[in-house]
Amino acid sequence: MNRTSRVASRWSDLRRSAFVAAVALTVMVLSMPANAAPAKRGTAYRVGKLVTMDGTDRVINNAVVLVEGSKIEGVGSRQELEVPAGYRVVNAENLWLVPGLVDAHNHTAGSLMDLNDMVYLTNPGLRTLETIVPDNEIIKSARAGGVTPVLLIPGSGTNMSGFGTVAKTGGSTVADVVQRSPGSLKIAQAGNPEWYWFGVGRSYMNYNTRQTLDKAKAYHEGWNAFEQGKTKDKPLYDPVFDGFRGLFRGEFPASVHTQIYQVVMTTVDMLSKKFGIRTVLDHSTFDGFKTAPLVVEQDMYTMNGPRQYWFDFSQRKMHGNAARWWQGGVKKLGINTDAPVVPQKELSYQAAMACWYGWLPYPALRGVTKMPAEALLIDDHVGSIEVGKDADFGLWTGDPIDPRSSCEMTVVRGKVVYDAKVKRRF
Amino acid sequence: MLHRARLLTLLLIVSMTVPLVRAGDPKPDKDKPSKDKTEAKKDAAKDEKSDDDKDKKKKKKKDDRYFAIKAGTVHTVTGATLFDVTILTKNGKIIEIGESVEVPEKAERLDASGYHVYPGLVAVSSSGVIGSEPPDDSTDVFSLTMTIGLAGGITTAVTGNTAGKLTFSTLEGLVVKRDLFYKLSYSSSSPDGRRKLREKFDKVRQYMRDLEIYADEKKKDDEAEEPDKEWLTGDFKKIHALMRGELVAVASADRAYEIVQYCELAERYGIKIVLRGAMEGWTVPSRMARAGVSAILSIRPPIFSTDTGHDERINRKTGRSIENAAILARHGIPIAIVPSVTSITLWGLAGRDLLHLNMEAAFAVRGGLSEDAALRTITIDAARILGIDHRVGSIEVGKDADFVITDGDILHYMTHSRWTVVNGRIAYDKQKESLYDHIRPDGNRDAPPPDDYWPRCLGTN
Repeated sequence: MNRTSRVASRWSDLRRSAFVAAVALTVMVLSMPANAAPAKRGTAYRVGKLVTMDGTDRVINNAVVLVEGSKIEGVGSRQELEVPAGYRVVNAENLWLVPGLVDAHNHTAGSLMDLNDMVYLTNPGLRTLETIVPDNEIIKSARAGGVTPVLLIPGSGTNMSGFGTVAKTGGSTVADVVQRSPGSLKIAQAGNPEWYWFGVGRSYMNYNTRQTLDKAKAYHEGWNAFEQGKTKDKPLYDPVFDGFRGLFRGEFPASVHTQIYQVVMTTVDMLSKKFGIRTVLDHSTFDGFKTAPLVVEQDMYTMNGPRQYWFDFSQRKMHGNAARWWQGGVKKLGINTDAPVVPQKELSYQAAMACWYGWLPYPALRGVTKMPAEALLIDDHVGSIEVGKDADFGLWTGDPIDPRSSCEMTVVRGKVVYDAKVKRRF
Repeated sequence: MLHRARLLTLLLIVSMTVPLVRAGDPKPDKDKPSKDKTEAKKDAAKDEKSDDDKDKKKKKKKDDRYFAIKAGTVHTVTGATLFDVTILTKNGKIIEIGESVEVPEKAERLDASGYHVYPGLVAVSSSGVIGSEPPDDSTDVFSLTMTIGLAGGITTAVTGNTAGKLTFSTLEGLVVKRDLFYKLSYSSSSPDGRRKLREKFDKVRQYMRDLEIYADEKKKDDEAEEPDKEWLTGDFKKIHALMRGELVAVASADRAYEIVQYCELAERYGIKIVLRGAMEGWTVPSRMARAGVSAILSIRPPIFSTDTGHDERINRKTGRSIENAAILARHGIPIAIVPSVTSITLWGLAGRDLLHLNMEAAFAVRGGLSEDAALRTITIDAARILGIDHRVGSIEVGKDADFVITDGDILHYMTHSRWTVVNGRIAYDKQKESLYDHIRPDGNRDAPPPDDYWPRCLGTN
């Protein structure tokens, strides 16, 4: 008997005993009386303050949030909501319960080596799904900042760098963390892709993006016509453009790397007005806020960041980007980190800085919870604390925007994924 | 006998006059102007003629620069927090703080009732807010970066090895202290450099022992030979000062093993060391406390850094901790806090450099440091580490008139400086300076952003 076969035989022995154990366990479980385990075993979080971010912007003091499985089962004040028997109670009377923060612009899917696959100037078929490392160090630290879902998108090295993925920060396999793929289409306007090669400028980049989208739209319309029975010619399947069909159906948005007045204007005009794509303005920094009237007209979402101010040399003024967008009437406004540019765990601090430069705390908190969730079309299950939504939240020592407050516990889908008492990370 | 008597009287005179000259006692200062005033009035009423002495007094009084602040809340840092008091300063020094302070008529007045007055913040390292070394020769006193630093509440900053003030519009009183530290490099990446450094220290220590022996011998033998000290120049002289406690050393150390090495050096030669970085200080706080080292910390890593500093291969606690400042403070280690980027950057990533020194201290509170202690890390404790705490870092009579006057708690994320005062002069006035005047001009945090500025393009009407 050589060494390999000995190992193999041991392995088969092991498997056999495992099988025996499994059978024994099944028999035990089946023979247990049905009434021994309670019907439901949830968790009740008793907190000092609950910021719901729901439709009526309720803030409840001395609140209870009931969690059953991965969902929120009940929300209310301690007087009106009774904790069912058998529920585990988490006493956090001096903490705030805040919806899990959402970041609509994040690059920490996996190793930062495959952030930008710059094969062509547009790479429409790629997706970040294949690069995700669910438990990487940056994601771990994101939990410490109370961040629960993020949109993992490719970099802005090319005009079109692929499809992003909406993922949770809690979970250890790709299947665990992925919420939606494609999460968005990443398009990058000026301010990075021009470094692709000599001669690439704004005219060419716009043409390049436009013609790719034209092709994708034609593909989508061809299939639409076939599916609706308008034509009997079945179009050829094209893996490059098939992913775009969801985009044109409005199932997911385009996340657009866009900044500077002229560039943001082109983005609004080309993507939202001409193509009718649901477009989220990421970055939207420098003097991009000057396009506010256009953005209001198109009813678009703006996810501002990572830059929080723009210094106008000609006027010697510091403009808070978020404050200026807000002032321009853009209320569908959120904040991002562009992690790892700003560490993911500092998403709430980005909101703090938006406030220092003139924005307001409550809209800023909404800008890191409900607004990005709405922008990404995931607000049906995250972004606020409401019955039926995912149990994604953080327990904070106070106003989550204040850098003096810390996130003591983060819960994703009802599971505690970060506990400062076990190991404090931020 | 005669000589001796003369000498005695001379000594007596000196000992009597010296305290009067040196103490800078606030009382006579405070009384003087009022007395002078009444005397002057009498003089004017009596006669046109005045003798030379009185003329001189008049002139002196005219030159004195008084500045008075009617303050809402005064956070003295070293003493009690005071409410509704007046702070009177003269020629850039605080001379009186109280509820009923007699303010000279010609004093410049600032009504800051309803505002919070803090001592000006101290940035233990910086670039750009004052010029590079030597700052008095290279500072642009109207520079944008200095103004932005002042808007962030900074009044004292270190450039190179010099502590200087952000004296907007003047070079007067810019330098606070030169040659702050002896720069120590004792890195394990240069074993030879380490050996050479120890040799220098050993040589100086031997010299100091020889000096003691010489002092003893000289008592018995008048012709005892003094130890040779011709070599005691340059670096040796500095090391000598270091070992006599007249100078403090500064060194960069982040990892625990580096910190411990500096602790050992401090104990071996009895020197004082300030450690810059001290990222893993929280893993060896007792060791640092025993060696009596101080630390200059940044709570967060620099931007674009994905490095948490944790090294999972090492079988002990490693890396960065948000609790670093709190743990070190609990062990009695003096700490100063400064952001990891110590310049004024204008490219839009907010809250990570000298624009927001106070926010770095706020992050220390997140890690468990008390708010009072956090404020001290950017005021008095920072000044103490630089050895300039007799001048700046707190609001006390006799200290420099450096204040940051804010519309709220200085550790709050929406607090702006309304005025920043340096050496008894208003160096920054938010509403007169274009930078931030459009952001909550009345200090009201709930007010929406005002419509005072909107670009000329794409107007809504």
